[in-house]
Order: sequence, then C-alpha cells, then structure tokens
Amino acid sequence: MTQFLQFTLTRAVMALFTLLLVSLIVFTLMELVPGTCAERYLAFKNTQGQQISIDDIQAEERRLGLDRPFLIRWGGWVGNVLFHGEFGDSCILRLNINQLLGDKFWVSLAICLTSLLFAYLIAIPVGIISATSKSAWMNGTLRFVSYLGLAMPNFLLALMIMLFSTVFFGDSLTGLFSKEFRDAPWSFDRLMDFMSRAWLPVFILGWSATAFALQTVRALMLDETGKLYVTAAKARGLYGRKLLWRYPARHALGPIINSLGFDLNRVFNELPIVAVILTLTEAGALLLEALARSNDQQLAGAIIFLLTASIVTLNFVTDVALALFDPRVRSSVMRS
Amino acid sequence: MSDITSPAGPDTPKAMQPDNRAPDDKDQKAKEAYFTASQSQLIWARFKANRTAMIAGAVLIGLILTGVFAPFLSPYDPTIRGRDKEYENGAPQIPRFCDHNGCSARPFVYTPERKRSPTTLRWVTSVNKEKRRYIHFFVEGWEYRYFDYSINLPGDALDFRIPGIAFDTHLFGVDNGAVHIFGTDHSGKDIYSRTLHAVYTSLAVGTLGVLISFVLALAIGGISGYFGGWLDGLIQMITDAVRTIPIIPLFMALAAFIPQEWSSETRFFFISIIIGLINWPTLARRVRTHLLTERNQEYVLAAQLCGASASHIIRRHLLPSFTSYIIVDLVISFPYIVLSETALSFIGLGLKDPVNSLGVMLQNVTSADVLLNYQWYFIPVIFFIALVLAFVFVGDGLRDAADPYADTKK
Repeated sequence: MTQFLQFTLTRAVMALFTLLLVSLIVFTLMELVPGTCAERYLAFKNTQGQQISIDDIQAEERRLGLDRPFLIRWGGWVGNVLFHGEFGDSCILRLNINQLLGDKFWVSLAICLTSLLFAYLIAIPVGIISATSKSAWMNGTLRFVSYLGLAMPNFLLALMIMLFSTVFFGDSLTGLFSKEFRDAPWSFDRLMDFMSRAWLPVFILGWSATAFALQTVRALMLDETGKLYVTAAKARGLYGRKLLWRYPARHALGPIINSLGFDLNRVFNELPIVAVILTLTEAGALLLEALARSNDQQLAGAIIFLLTASIVTLNFVTDVALALFDPRVRSSVMRS
Repeated sequence: MSDITSPAGPDTPKAMQPDNRAPDDKDQKAKEAYFTASQSQLIWARFKANRTAMIAGAVLIGLILTGVFAPFLSPYDPTIRGRDKEYENGAPQIPRFCDHNGCSARPFVYTPERKRSPTTLRWVTSVNKEKRRYIHFFVEGWEYRYFDYSINLPGDALDFRIPGIAFDTHLFGVDNGAVHIFGTDHSGKDIYSRTLHAVYTSLAVGTLGVLISFVLALAIGGISGYFGGWLDGLIQMITDAVRTIPIIPLFMALAAFIPQEWSSETRFFFISIIIGLINWPTLARRVRTHLLTERNQEYVLAAQLCGASASHIIRRHLLPSFTSYIIVDLVISFPYIVLSETALSFIGLGLKDPVNSLGVMLQNVTSADVLLNYQWYFIPVIFFIALVLAFVFVGDGLRDAADPYADTKK
C-alpha cells in the first residue's frame, strides 16, 4: 500500500513538474507573438484621439510590470494561475479572462472528451474485427469508412451537413444553444438543448479521430494476437469472440488508455476549425480568434494552459488507474 | 526476388503441377529463396499479397509522379500569370470525340464566348457548340524549370543560384484559346494546373517535415533509449511536455512570428521546418521503447566488449534491427503531416496564395457560394482525400508486411 502511495505521489510530482515546464513553453510562445500588452492598450487609446508617445508606452509597461525580467514575469503568472486561479486581464478586450471564458472551456472539454469516447467506441470493435477477421471485403469497407473521416476535411463535412440540414430541415444546426438558452444559467432544459446541437461537432471530431484510434487498436491487436499466450489459450479450447475479449483485447487496452491524454490533444487541435464553421461559442473558436486575428496573448495563453493542465491531469489519472486495475502494472509498481 | 512465398503458403501446390519436371527441385528453390531472403524481400513479398495496399500504392505512386511532373502535365501556369481573362469562374470543359456535327479522332472542347447581356449589361458566358477547339499533344507553352534553386540566406555571401534546365513542352493544349478540364477559379486560373502543383507542394512540405522529424526522433530517441537512467527520464519528461502542447496553437504562435514580407519560398521552408520540429515526439518514443528492449541483447554486449563506441553500436547494430518499423512509422505519420500543413494553410497562417498547396486549395471551397454555384472548386478535394487515403492504406499494408509474426498467425 505504501508503495502504491509512493507511486501516486511520484506521478503527481512529475505531473506538476511537466505542467510547469509546459507553462514555461506556453509563456515563451506567447512572448513570440508580436507586440506587447502595453502597446495594445495605447493603440486603443490612440484610436480614441489621444496622442501617444514612446514615454507613454514605457510608463504603461512599468504599470503592467512588463519591464521585469522574463522569468520573474513567468513566475508571477504561474503563481497567480496555480494559487488563485486567476489568469489576469485580456489586453484586447480589457476584461477579466475568468469572466470572459466562463464555462466555455468546460464546454469545449466536454465536446472533445465525448468525441474521443465516440471515436473509441467505434475504433475498438472495428480495430479488433480488422485485425482478426478473414473477410477481406468487410475489413476493407470498415477501414475505408473510418479512414475517410481522416481524409475528409472537417470543415467540408461541417459545411455539407449544415447545407443539407438548412435545405431539408430549415435549421442550419449552427451554434451551441438555441436563442432562448444562450445566456440562461445551466438547467436541465438548457442541457437538453445543448445536447441537441452538440452532437454535430462531436460527430465530426469523433469521426476524424477514429482513424488514428483505429490504427492504434489494429496495430496493438495484431501484435498481441501473434503472441504465445494466445496460442496457449487456443490450445485450451478457447476460440472466437471469447478468446479475443478475454486475452489480447485486454492487453491491447492498456497502451490505449495510457495515450488518452495525447489523443485529447489531437482532438482539441481539430476543434477550432469546426468551431469557426459551425459558429460555436466555445474556447476553440476563442483561441483561434485570439491567436490568428487579435494577437491576444493573455487569452490564448490562458486557454492553452487550461488545455495542457487537462491533458496532464488525464495522463496522471490514467497512469494511476492502470496501476490500480492492470495486474501487470500493479505488480511492477509494487516491486519497485 | 518476386517468387518468394512462404513454403507453407498458397503458392506451394504450383510445384506439383504435372508439367513440372523437377517438382522437388523447384520446391527446394522456393524454400531456399524464402529462408535466405532478406528482410526487405520478405516485406515486399507480403506486401504484394495485400490487394488493398497494392491499389493504394499504385494510387500513391501515380500522385507522386503527377506532383513531380506537374509543370509538364499542366497546360497553364498555376499562378496569376497563367490566368485566362476570358473565362473566369468557368465550368470544366470536358473533352469529347463526338457531337451533333459528327465525330473526330482528335478530342475537342467547345469555345466559350463572353458577351454583355443586352438587358442586364453583365458579362454572360455561353458555349458556342459550332466552334471546336482541338486538343493537341506535346505542345509548347509556358516555360518551366527543373533544378532551379535560388537560396536567399541572410547575408549576401550565402546567396547562390542554380540556373537549372528550362522546358516548355506540355502534355496537351489547344491551338487557339485555352482548355480548362477542371474549370477555372474566380481570377481565371486553371484549376487543373493548380491542383497538380498543389499536390507537389503538399508532398514536398510533407517530405521535408518527415525528414526533419525523422532525424530528430532518431537522435533523441536513440540517446534516450541507449543510455537510459536519469538522462532517459529527463528526455522523456521534455518529450511528454512537447507532446502535451496543442499543435495548432503552437503552429499559430510560430506562424504569427513569420514576417509578412517573407517570400513564399522562405515561408514554405519555414513551415516545413516547424512541422518537422513539432512531429518528432511520437516517433522518438517508439525508437526509445525499442532500444530499451534491444540494448540488453547479447549482440550489443558483444559489440561493447569489442570496444565499439556508443554511436557505432546505435548506428550499426541497433538501428538496423528495426529499420522496417521506422519506415512504416514514417509512412504512417506522413498523412498527418500533410494534414497539419492543410490545417495551417486553411486557417490562413501557412502557405499563401501565390503558392499552390492543397491547404490553399481547400481554403477556396469554404463559402456557400462555391458549394451552390461553382462545384468544380471541389475537384482538388478529391485529390486530397485520395492522397491521404492512399498513404494510410499503404502505411497499414507496410505495417502488416513488416510484422514478423504475420506468417505464424494463420
């Protein structure tokens, strides 16, 4: 038991360290974006008719603390985020970022996780069939359909579905909420309304994520079914579905669970484009807006940080869960 | 090399056909070929047996050749220089052999005519079915160059230019006017020519990106896996951190860094390098895992006892032990790299309009106007889908072929 606690603790410390490292990378990247917050503030004032000089910019930089060394600013930012949950103010919209984001990030995270679930619900059975079935025709068709999700550009799929539903149902299916629920507090009705619209991004993202998941499942299953314990199980008279589910499929599941965090990253990558086409009001679209159009370092940094924190947490949870439920991992943890 | 099959494989009965004078001898030969075949010969033999992968491979080779010979195959310059002012947003012209005026051995298209409509005063394009444009092969057209590089590095001393060889022969063209088999876009550029060049650009970005990430992955994964210990722990932590950062925002932050005044070629190289720099962790991890298991094998110990250096052992003994896996991984990661280029260009941060890449072409089809009125803009999308699918299926086929357990499973 103490060994298990020790293992969990080591993992937690490593996760925290990774998070710090990532936050440093993210912070550095945000510094690469041209211009500083002070310049943006004053550029706005300039449009209001005030004359701005270099001295004004420098004074503003001092006020915002931008004249301090890079590492100290990073420390301040990370400290604020970790201990107070504060991301500061967006320098373009001049609003508190926590207020600006609201529940948008959680909505995005929910969409991504559901898409991931959807992808694996398809990829696991199809991958097992594809790795073991002898029917070339079925195998080929299933794989073709899954890979088409990867090859078909997401925005195209979104556009087609939108057009189709506008022509046939008179509703473009865009946005995440109907008009009456847009600013309402969360309630059961709002949740149902959300679900009736969120299936479209989930479907699109999930389909395109299926291809990679399928390749992983297929490769793992092919590796596992060639191993001797499968032959041994066959010799004992197991066959068919029972054999697959009880032996190789379980073994193949470990690495898949382990890589869930990185899969989340992959899905989130696709989110902004789909979000822009479907005009979803969530963090992916905000991120694209902040990075590609308005250069809002503060906002982009906050969203990327939240995402990486989710990935690191997911990695930590899956590591611990595997140690709990997979006897092979458990015994190797206990031994060390 | 082509007659390698497993001795227990389906081809064995061939050796027992009556007209075969020395069945034992032939059987023996097949066995010998099988047991002495090199790794790559075995993989090729298994790959050939996979019909889906062979079809995908043929499509892939076709696309690669199309890309490489794009200037020869395309009748018009894909940039604004080759635009057809007379035929903007023009529908595809399908070559035909027969019509109401009879048949001809030479394919022809009709002549589109542009007139001001007397009522609305707008330009209206109509097809004149009486005027034929005959398609000729190997015609002279716009000039293009191969091996023409001009590298513009910072500092005058580092600039150099290879003049290359100029050609002006094209596969087909018409004698007067122009032919657009995939139609034209809003500024009159030939979509067929653009698509072929786009395939080339996307493949080139992919190749460059794959190469860079490949070298990085080999070096980093190799060091990490061979030395192990604290170095491995540290490298793994950094690798994980890099994998945790979402790729698109990373691209965007770096792409925002590109000065607007950079030429399209410089942008192109920069984008490929970024893509390569970001995609190494997955491959590096595979290399490391493999090395961790291999480095405790006896042959490594033997080499170490003989006094071989670490880099020698990694290069000469460890890496060749899984070259096939690396090649498979490279093919598998290729479509993802092409996809990242597309996504980046689609957002508007990657390659831009004078360069034709599949991402730039996809960007053109996003409006509902195109979806409803100019459907031929979608033709490049078909090429894109075919390219990605071909890569994925070839990757799967190679993976199966490189699997050493493939024969024992049946």
